[in-house]
Amino acid sequence: MPRLVIDDLEVEVPKGSKVIDAAERLGIVIPRFCYHEAMGAVGACRMCAVKFVEGPFKGVQMSCMIDARDGMVVSTTDEEAVQFRKRVIELLMKNHPLDCPVCDEGGQCLLQDETWSSGHAIRRFKGKKRTYRDQYLGPYIQHEMNRCIHCYRCSRFYQEFAGYRDLGPMQIADNLYFGRFSDGKLESPFSGNLVDICPTGVYTDKTARFKVRRWDLRRAPSVCNHCSLGCNTVGNAHYRGVVRVEARYNADVNGYFICDAGRFGFSYANGGADHKGRPWRPMVEGSAVSAQKAFAEAAEALERVSRKYGPGSIAAVGSHRNSLETQCMLNRMCRAKDWGGPVFYFDPAQLRKTRSAVESLDGEIAASMREIENADFVLVAGADPVNEAGMAALAIRQAGRKKASVVVIDPRPVDLPFDFEHIAAVPGEIELYMAAVVGKAVERDAKNLEKNAAGFYRNLAAGWGNRELPAGVSTICDHLGSSKKPVIVCGTGITRETTPAFAADCVRLLRLTGKDARLFYFMPGAGSFSTAILSGDDGLDFAQLVGDIENGAVRALVLVESDPFHYYPDRVRLDAAISKLDLLIAIDYFPTEAVNRAHIFYPSSTIFETDSTYVNQEGRVQFARRVHYGGVPIWGGEHPPRDYRNFAPGSDHLPAWRVLSEIAGEPVAGSEQGDILMDCVSAAGHSTFEGLKDGNYRDAAMRILPGKAAPEGQWTFGSVGPWIGSKSSEGLELLMVEWMFGTSEFSLYSDTLHAGASEPYMSMNTKDAERAGVSDGDIVAIELDNGTLEIAVSVSNRTAEGVLVIPRHQSIGWRKMKDFSVWVPAEKIGKTAPA
Amino acid sequence: MAQYPQVLFKNRKPDRVATLEEYRESGGYEALEKFVGGGISPGEVTRLVGESGLLGRGGAGFPTGKKWAAVQESGAFPRYLAANADEMEPGTFKDRVLLHADPHCVIEGMALSAYAFSASKGFFFVRPSYESSAAILERELEIARQAGFLGNNILGTDFSFDVVVHRSGGRYICGEGSALLNAIMGKRPNPIKPPPYPTDKGLWDKPTVVNNVETLANIPRILINGPEWFKGLAATPHGSGTKLYCISGKVNLPGTVELPIGTRLSEIIDEHCGGMLPGSEFKACLPGGASTRFLTKEHYDVPMDFEDLKAVGNRLGTAAIMVFDHKTCLVGATLNLMEFFARESCGWCTPCREGLPYMVDLLWRIENGQGEEEFIPNLRRLCKEVWNSYCALAPGAAEPVISLLDFFEDEVREHISQKGCPFHAKAGH
Repeated sequence: MPRLVIDDLEVEVPKGSKVIDAAERLGIVIPRFCYHEAMGAVGACRMCAVKFVEGPFKGVQMSCMIDARDGMVVSTTDEEAVQFRKRVIELLMKNHPLDCPVCDEGGQCLLQDETWSSGHAIRRFKGKKRTYRDQYLGPYIQHEMNRCIHCYRCSRFYQEFAGYRDLGPMQIADNLYFGRFSDGKLESPFSGNLVDICPTGVYTDKTARFKVRRWDLRRAPSVCNHCSLGCNTVGNAHYRGVVRVEARYNADVNGYFICDAGRFGFSYANGGADHKGRPWRPMVEGSAVSAQKAFAEAAEALERVSRKYGPGSIAAVGSHRNSLETQCMLNRMCRAKDWGGPVFYFDPAQLRKTRSAVESLDGEIAASMREIENADFVLVAGADPVNEAGMAALAIRQAGRKKASVVVIDPRPVDLPFDFEHIAAVPGEIELYMAAVVGKAVERDAKNLEKNAAGFYRNLAAGWGNRELPAGVSTICDHLGSSKKPVIVCGTGITRETTPAFAADCVRLLRLTGKDARLFYFMPGAGSFSTAILSGDDGLDFAQLVGDIENGAVRALVLVESDPFHYYPDRVRLDAAISKLDLLIAIDYFPTEAVNRAHIFYPSSTIFETDSTYVNQEGRVQFARRVHYGGVPIWGGEHPPRDYRNFAPGSDHLPAWRVLSEIAGEPVAGSEQGDILMDCVSAAGHSTFEGLKDGNYRDAAMRILPGKAAPEGQWTFGSVGPWIGSKSSEGLELLMVEWMFGTSEFSLYSDTLHAGASEPYMSMNTKDAERAGVSDGDIVAIELDNGTLEIAVSVSNRTAEGVLVIPRHQSIGWRKMKDFSVWVPAEKIGKTAPA
Repeated sequence: MAQYPQVLFKNRKPDRVATLEEYRESGGYEALEKFVGGGISPGEVTRLVGESGLLGRGGAGFPTGKKWAAVQESGAFPRYLAANADEMEPGTFKDRVLLHADPHCVIEGMALSAYAFSASKGFFFVRPSYESSAAILERELEIARQAGFLGNNILGTDFSFDVVVHRSGGRYICGEGSALLNAIMGKRPNPIKPPPYPTDKGLWDKPTVVNNVETLANIPRILINGPEWFKGLAATPHGSGTKLYCISGKVNLPGTVELPIGTRLSEIIDEHCGGMLPGSEFKACLPGGASTRFLTKEHYDVPMDFEDLKAVGNRLGTAAIMVFDHKTCLVGATLNLMEFFARESCGWCTPCREGLPYMVDLLWRIENGQGEEEFIPNLRRLCKEVWNSYCALAPGAAEPVISLLDFFEDEVREHISQKGCPFHAKAGH
C-alpha cells in the first residue's frame, strides 16, 4: 500500500493505483478528458498534468500514467503544472466552436467546466477553426465532429470496452476524425453510452436534443425496468415529461453504462411524441370519469361479483412490470378478500423455472455483474445475453478481455460482441452439454467428492459418457478445469424446467472442487424475482385462470399492469375468455388491449412518477426515486399552454398499489411509502424480505438472499437424466424469443424504440431448411393451430438443428398457437415467396 | 581527398544493384556460415555485437547489443525481428541508397540478428515511396532463400528464419518503433509507451526487436572482422564503425557517403561534398534530420558522432545533414519542416496534434508579415510544453524551432519588424 503526499495531504492507496485516483481519494479531482475508470489510462489528452516534487519521477507528468509509489510528493497546484494545463485547454479551444449556447451538452460539458476552471477566456490563436462533415449515426446519436477534442473515449468505449467495430478513429494529425466508414446507423446496441462518456458535445442524445437545459431538469436516481438486471439510471424530466435517461454508476450492477433499450425506451411514460399513447384518465365503460367515481364504481362492481358468485370468482393478475410495493399489495388484497391469485405468470413453465432459479440462489453462489467481469470462465446456458439482458453481454465481454473463455450453449445463432465457443444445442440438450463440460472439468477431483455429490457427478458422467461431443469441447473442459472463478449464466426463457436447478447444482459441484464458482440467472422482467416468491408455492398461472374463466369459476379479473394479450399464445381462446367475463378492471400505464377492453380502467404511475422498489435477478433490492409528478407533457403543441386549469392534465395516475388500496376501500393511512411496503411485506410473509424491514435499502441497494439456499447433500437433480427425449420426432420446436428491440411491451409503447427495431426473421438450421425446402431470405408460412404465421427466414449452421427461432416481434401476429410449447412438423412450413 | 575503407558501400555500383555473387565474393554470408553454420552460440553473437560498440543507426543511437540482450532467454516464442526501412525523417535517404547498393548485407544482417535472439520471422518494414527498394528486396530475398541463407533449416542447421516485406501505410509516425509494430499488426500506428518493452512484449505480445536497416547491415562485418576492427574504423577514439552520411542542401555534391563515424562536419562538406555552392556561405545545418537543432558556423568542425554532437547540445540523429547558406531564410525553412511535422502527427495527444499546427500558424504569420512580438515568447513556451507530449515526435519537431530562436532570434525579429521576409525582399519577391 503506497503512501504518498498530494497537495500536502497524505494518502495511502492500493498498489497499482494511479496518482489521479489517489488524488481523487483526497477529494482532489485532477482535470481530465481521456481518463475514465472503466476504460483506463491512455495519456492522450495531457490534461491531468501535475508536478512531481519528490520521488522516482520529477517535474510535470501525467497523473493518469504514473502509479502511486511510496515517498511521492505531488503538487496539483504548482504553477508550471497549472500553466501547462491551461495550455492544453488553449490548444483544445483553438478549434472547438464557441457554440455552447446552441449545444445540447452546454451545462453538462466537461470541456466547458475545465475551460472555465482553467481561466481560459480569450483565444490567442489567430488561425481558422478546423471543420468536419458530420455523419448520420442513426436515430439515437447526433454527431457534431467540430466539437471533438480527440480524447479517444468514444472509440475506446465503442471498440475496446463494448466490442463493436463500426465507429473509430480515422485520419491523422489534426484531421483526426471519429466516426463511421460511411453514414449509417450505429451497430452497437450500447451506442447511447457515447453520449454519457463524450466530454463535450460530439455525441448528443437525439431523443432529448434541444428540449431542455441541464439545470432546468428534474433529476432523480432511478432503476431501469426493461429487463431483470435492474441497471441504475438517472431519470430526467421537464415540463411533466421524461426527457432522457442516463446511466448511473453502480459498481456491482451495471458499472458506468446501460444499453440502448433502457436508455431510449422512456417515451411510453410521455404517451409517445404526441402524448396520445398513454391512457391518462380513469374510464368507466369507455367514458372518462373522476378518480373518486372510478374507485367507487370498481369497488361496487367487485362487491357485486363477490356477492353473486363468491370472492373466489375474482382473480387478480399482476406481472413482472409491477413494483415490489404493487406485488405485495396484490398479494395482501388476494389474501384479505379471498380472491384468486395473485397471478403473475402467463406461462406456467416460466413460473416454475423462475421459481426454481430464485430458490436455487443464495448469497454464497449468486454472482453480480462485477463478478462476471472478473470471472475466468463463463458458461452461458440457454441464454442470449445481448437480447435478454443487454448489459450482461458487456460484463461477459470484460471477462473475455481478461482472457476468460466463454462458452455459449444455446440453440439460437447467438451474436455477441466478443469471441466465444458456441454449442448450438436444442433446449432439451442444453443440460447434456453442461453435464459434459462441467463433468469433464471436474473429472480429476471427482473421487474426493462426498456421497451425494459423487452421485450427481456420476449422473453427469452417465449423460455424456456414450455420446460424441463436438470438436473443441474438450479444450473448453480443460479451461473450466483450470479456472478458479467460473460463472454459469443460465437463462429461464427457452430452457427446460429442470435447467435452472441443474445449473445451480453444477455450480455447487464446481465449488466442491475448490473453485469460487458462481451463478447468474436471466429472468423475464424487472419484477420477476419477487413475483416468483409471491406467486406462492402452488403458484396459480394464467393458463389455469383461462380455464377457470371458461368454466365460469372466475367471473371478474383485476389486471394490474398486466396485459394477457401481449403474452398469451392463443389469441382466439383469450378473446373468448375475456368476452365471457362479467367484470374486467385494468390498472396500467400502457394503452394495452386489456385496457381498451376493460369495463373500468385506472391509470397507474410509471417508475418515473413514484418511489418504487425492484428486486433484480440476483436478489438485489433497489429503490427508484420519483423523478417528477408527471402528467401530459407540456411540450409539443402550444407553448406555453394557453389552457389554464386548476389541475395538471394527466395527473390522475397513482401508483398501482395505491389504486388497489382505494378500490379495496382500505385507503392506506399516512404517506410513508416505506410503512406500506413493510406492511405488505409482512403480509406476504416471506422470509426473503425480512432484510427489508429497516428500510436501509432505499439509500444503498442490498441483497436479500439467504446465506445458503440448498443444504449440503440435497441435490435437486439426483437421478433424472434431463436429456431423455431431447430431440423429437414430432417436428421442430418453436422457440419464441426476446430481442433487445421490438419484442417487449416497452418496445411496443415507446415510439423512441421503434426506430431501433429491425425487421423480424426466423432462424433455422441449414439441414432443417433443406428438409423443409426453404432457403435463406425466403418468406415462409408456418401453419399454426389458429392460422398461419408469415416471416422471412434466416438459415444458418449456428442455429441448432431441430428448432425454429422466432422473435415475439410486435410486427408479426404470432399468437396463433394453442400452447406455449409448440412443435411444428416440417411439412407445415412452406415457402410463400422466393428470395 | 582522404579515402576511407568502405564497409557497407563496398559493393556500391554507380548504375546497378550488387548481386548475390558479388556480395559473396566480397566475403558475404561468411559470417552466417561461420556463426549459424558453425553452431556458435547466439549469446556469442550478441556479445560480439555488444563489444563492437555499435549504436543504432535509426536516430536514437541505442546500443544494439544491449537491445538484443534485453530479449530474455526465457522469453516467449515465436520471436520477431522488424527491420525499419521506413526512413521518413526529412533529409534522410541513406537506407534507400544502401538497399539499392547491396541488399544482401541487410538480408544477412537480419538473419544474424534473428539468430542472436532466436527470432523465427522478420518483417522488413518499408515506406511505400520506396517501392523500388521493396521490389529489389523481395527479389533478393527469394535469391537468398534459394541459396539456403533464409527459410527453414538455414545452412542445414535447425535455425529457421524468413522475412516478409511489409509496405508501410506511409506516415512518419510509422517509423517510431512501437507505432511500427502496431502498423505491422494492422492496428492504428499510435506509439505505445513502455513498459512493456517490445523486447518483452512486442508483436502479438511476443519478444520483438526493431533495428534500423543500416544497423543490421553492419552485423556481418562486425562478426567476421571482430569488434576491435569495427571500433578502429571510427575517426574518434570513442566511436565505432563507419556511418552513412546523407548530405543535402547548398553543397556542390549532395548525396550519401560512407565515412568513419566522427568525421568532422567541415571535412564532410568541404572534401566529400565538394564544398558549398559557388556564391554560398555556410550559415547553418541540421546535422541529423529535421528533428535536430540547427548547428551554426561556430561548430563547423564538430566530429559527427553521437557523443561529440551531444557535447555541443545537438544530436547525430540519422546523420542527414541539411546545409543552409546565407541566402536561405531559416524562418521559411523551419516553417517548411513544421508543416511536415504538424501533418505527420498521429493525432494521439493534444500538445502534438494541436500544438504543432499552432507553431506552424505562428511561424507562417512571422514569415508572411503578420508576426507579432509576443509570438516569440509564445513559441518558446510551446517548444517547452510539447515536451510533455506522449512520444518523441513533438519534442523532436520543436528542436529546429527552439534553435531558430536561440541562434537566429535577430532574423526572426527582422521578419516581425519589417512585416515580411527580408530574404524575399532581397530576392525581389
